[in-house]
Parts: sequence; structure tokens; C-alpha cells
Amino acid sequence: PRELTPPSPLSFPSTVTSEQIEHLHRRFKQLSRDQLTIRKENFDSIPDLEFNPIRGKIVHAFFDKRNLRQESDGLADEINFEDFLTIMSYFRPIEMNMDEEQLDRFRKEKLKFLFHMYDSDHDGKITLQEYRNVVEELLSGNPHLEKESARSIADGAMMEAASICVGQMGPDQVYEGITFEDFLKMWQGIDIETKMHVRFLNMDTIAHCY
Amino acid sequence: MFLLLPFDSLVVNLLGISITVLFTLLLVFIIVPAIFGVSFGIRKVYMKTLLKIFQWATLRIERGAKEKKHPLYKPYVNGIIAKDPTSLEEEIKEIRRSGSGKALDTPEFELSDIFYFCRKGIETIMDDEVTKRFSAEELESWNLLSRTNYNFQYISLRLTVLWGLGVLIRYCFLLPLRIALAFTGISLLVTGTTVVGYLPNGRCKEFLSKHVHLMCYRICVRALTAIITYHDRENRPRNGGICVANHTSPIDVIILASDGYYAMVGQIHGGLMGVIQRAMVKACPHVWFERSEVKDRHLVAQRLTEHVQDKSKLPILIFPEGTCINNTSVMMFKKGSFEIGATVYPVAIKYDPQFGDAFWNSSKYGMVTYLLRMMTSWAIVCSVWYLPPMTRQPEEDAVQFANRVKSAIARQGGLVDLLWDGGLKREKVKDTFKEEQQKLYSKMIVGNHEDRSRS
Repeated sequence: PRELTPPSPLSFPSTVTSEQIEHLHRRFKQLSRDQLTIRKENFDSIPDLEFNPIRGKIVHAFFDKRNLRQESDGLADEINFEDFLTIMSYFRPIEMNMDEEQLDRFRKEKLKFLFHMYDSDHDGKITLQEYRNVVEELLSGNPHLEKESARSIADGAMMEAASICVGQMGPDQVYEGITFEDFLKMWQGIDIETKMHVRFLNMDTIAHCY
Repeated sequence: MFLLLPFDSLVVNLLGISITVLFTLLLVFIIVPAIFGVSFGIRKVYMKTLLKIFQWATLRIERGAKEKKHPLYKPYVNGIIAKDPTSLEEEIKEIRRSGSGKALDTPEFELSDIFYFCRKGIETIMDDEVTKRFSAEELESWNLLSRTNYNFQYISLRLTVLWGLGVLIRYCFLLPLRIALAFTGISLLVTGTTVVGYLPNGRCKEFLSKHVHLMCYRICVRALTAIITYHDRENRPRNGGICVANHTSPIDVIILASDGYYAMVGQIHGGLMGVIQRAMVKACPHVWFERSEVKDRHLVAQRLTEHVQDKSKLPILIFPEGTCINNTSVMMFKKGSFEIGATVYPVAIKYDPQFGDAFWNSSKYGMVTYLLRMMTSWAIVCSVWYLPPMTRQPEEDAVQFANRVKSAIARQGGLVDLLWDGGLKREKVKDTFKEEQQKLYSKMIVGNHEDRSRS
């Protein structure tokens, strides 16, 4: 295994062991075919990902500079292992000893990740078109579904969202889009911080017999 | 050639005699301790020696692989991340419920629906079928059985010789020895129980019956070279209770019955099994059902209840999954044994796969093939944990109680829980299933949407 310098802006919690980082590193090497960086095409080698309807958005999320905590905007062409870990860290499980403030920040981080998935033009708002886009992708698994139905579903959901965020709108008010604050409002009550994580299996669960 | 014949026959004779004598001595050496329930600890020494040899073999393979600079293959059977077995519908329902408090009957698309697919996507990126087959530099110990070796090309000459020696020992020495032992054990069981059956009922009969059973099971244990470690023996099942254990292979019965005296439950078979069963029931009240009776749930439950209520009767040994032989019994006992209302003594059995895989894939191997495989492995190493007794609480129903017991056993034994879920045995989720997932999701949204627009 090559030398890994832990990325500095991200403080790795104690729940991520070096063994897990090694696993992820191995996975990274597999995906990158032993190169130092991964490009979008490398994700094509994952067969199970084919069936995920929002495959495009997930892969996109890896290259989104906002998720990579870089100052600039837009998309990166390739990411290295540190960036890979940065994205994975959005899915780290909750720690036992987090205080209120940390929990809140934890939650906001995860929700920001999801927000960026919706907001594909990076303007900080989820517009109706972007919303439609997501719904269409999610429903793309059903070939019999007409575009019209998907659209109307999206429109209905958007109206719903608007009513939650802005309340009753006047007839000539235009809802520009869901901002991050509105987005947060909609996820209230859902503990994303306990559900949005991928947990490593404890590798030595097998009890020894002697 | 003809001139050598008389000389040949002398040598052959001598050889024959010495082998027979050796054999008999060995048999006696193994059977006598079995009769008295003592152990010389030879099997443990054998196990330790084997482990050392395996380690050496593994190092050789690793060295061979390093010289050729190839990666080794290590099967990560369970993958590296813990995947929740919940379905699409359940998860989305849960998220929606906790979010806006709306039921799933009136869904439109919700913002949070993206979450399930997002997480699944990240999971597959972190770990999919690919990681299950490949790994890095280390290999688990190779146990000199070609069935478990994925790295054939790295075996050096020395290792091949060792493997060949292993094959010779296993097939030409251990196998006949084990078959002889098994034969002895079974015939002793049949004759012993028949003889005891003629005695009048009483304490003497019980005592003799118990010891005949135990002795024969111990011989069978040695016939498989099973090295068993029992934990928490103070929790062993008592009279009037039901002993419930997880079921990995047909050998489970022998393993448990060699450490305790149980009343067996099952269907009467024909052939050799039938002979054994009929003999056993003469000495001790096992509960055998005719084929026709097995279908009658009430009859089964009634007989079991009768047995259990008689406190003088032995604890019943039940594998809620049924025996590997007859699958119709599985459904019967699943809930049934937990409805009876007796104290349940859970037992967890865990096999160590290092010495040979004890799992019986009934779709691949028949019983005889399976037994042969077992008898040509090095040994069967397992652990048995006797868990504290459980009773059904007033507010639980039989299914909940069954699940509680099941999870207690699963927790103790590790990853056993999966095996209990009927069809989920060891199949990969098929590709078509995943496609269905997507279609299911869109149906969920669209179907309901259409309903609403129609109404």
C-alpha cells in the first residue's frame, strides 16, 4: 500500500479505521486500474451500478467541485484518492460522542450533498426543470412511462414543495426554486444523519472455534 | 513372474495380517474411550499439527505468488460493507413516514425518494461483486483440500507432494478407518437399542438406553473426526423442554446427541435410516411420525405437547428448519414447536470452515456424496453454545417468540441468521431482480398518481 497522507481540511473521525481506509484504497486502485486518478469512465466498470436510475447523478457527484470542497466551481475531470475519500466521508456513520453543534453540521453536510445532486447547474436553487430532470431519471427504469406522466408528477411535487417553503402563493408569484434553506426545511424530521451512511462490516466477526 | 508367486504370497499375507492387526488396534483404541466418554486429547493434537502444516502451505503459496508478482485471490464472501436487507418499499416508506407523516397510499414523488437510490449507488461503488472475488496480498490459510484452493498455479513441487500425501492419507487411511468406525457405531446402536428394548420399563432400562445412545453417538463423532468444543454446559436442556438448534448439516444431530440424551422428532424413513429409527424407538420414546401424519399439523402438535408435558420424558431435539432430508417438515415445525408452550433451550452450532466446509448444499450433493466429502476432509471442527432457556412471554405470539429465539442463536453463532430465511440461502440477487426494483419504484409513484387523478 502506498503512503497515504490524511487530507487536512477533513478531520477523520475515529470510527474510520486504517483498515477501512486500506479497503477503500484497494477499491480505488481497482476502479482506477492502478492509476493515480479516476475519471468518469472508470465508473463504467461497476456492473451493479448500471441498474441504478440516478447513476449519472451519483457519478457526477464525485466530480462536483462543491462536494470536493474546492474553492472553484464546476466539474473536475479527474479525482485522486483523497477526493474519493472526501466523497465517501459524506456517508460516514454517526459517532457516539457528537454534540449538538457537530450533529447539526454533520446533517447539513449530508443534505448539501443531496442538494447538489438536484441542483445540476450549480446556481444554488433547484428549479422546476432540475426537479423534473431528477424525477424523469428516477422513473426512467420503467420504459412504459410516458414523459408526460413523469412531468406531471414532478410538477405536482414541486407545487407541494413550494407550499411547504413559501406558504400560499399569490396567482402571479413565481416560485424560483428551492434554495438550500428550503431544502433543509423539507427534510425536517427525517434523520438523515442516521440513515445516510454506509457501514463497514466488522471483519473479524467469525468466532473462533478453539 | 510365476517363480515369485510363493514369495509374493508370503509377503502379501504378512502385509495383510499386519494391516489388519493395526487396524483393529486402532479401532479398539478409538472405540474404547468412546464407550466410557473419555478423550485422550489426540484429536486436539491432530488439529494443532494440521494447522501448522496449513500455515506452512499458505506461506509457500504466497511466496510463489510474490515471485511471479501476481495478485492472489481471496474470497470475501460477505463483501466489505454491511448492506441492509430492507427492500425498496420499506425504506422509502420509512423515510416518508418520518418526514412528512404521510402514508404511502397517497404518495406523489417526494424529495427524499432520491435517497434510497443514492445510498444504493454509493454502496455498489464501495463494494460490489467484484470485491467479493479479489483482494490484496494476503491469502487465508489453505487447508490442502483441492476443493478450497483458488490459486492452483502457485503450488510448488514440495507443496504438490504434500498435497498428494494428504490425498493418500485421507482416502486410503482415514476414509476406511472412518467407514469402519461408522459401521461399528451404527450396528452397535441398532443391536444395543434392540436388546435394551426387551428389558422391562424402569430405571435400569433408562440408564442402559442412555448409555447405549451416548456411546454410539460418540463413536460416530470419532468416525467423522469431529472436534467439538462445548460452551456453557450448565445450560444444557432438561426434561420436559424443547431443544432448538440451527441447522447447517445433517451432522448436527450427531454433534448434539453425543453430549446429551434427547428424544428425536422426525419422519420415519425407509431403508437403513428406517431400521435405525425403529430400533432406537424400542429403547427410548423418540417421536417418529408416519409420512401421512406429518401433514397433519394438529396431530404433530398434539403428540409433541403430550411428550413435553410428561416431565419424565427427555427433552425434544428439534431443528426448526427441519431435517435436510424432508423439506415438507420444515414448514410444520417452524412455528409449531414454539406454540407448544414448553421451555425452549436454544443451542447455537458453529462450524469452523478452515478444516472443511460442513454446509450441505442439497441441490448440489446427495446425502451419500455429502457424507463421503465429510469423511474425506481432515476434520470437522465446531463449537456448540448452550444458551440460557427461554419461555414465551404472555404478550408474544408464536412467531415473535420464534424470532426472538432465532436472533439469540444468530447473535451467538455469528452470521447464521441468513440461513433461516427460506429461499435466501446463498443466492446472489439476480440481475432481473434489480431491474424489477426500478420498475417497482416507478409503479409505486405512477400507479398511485394515476389513481389519484382518476378519483
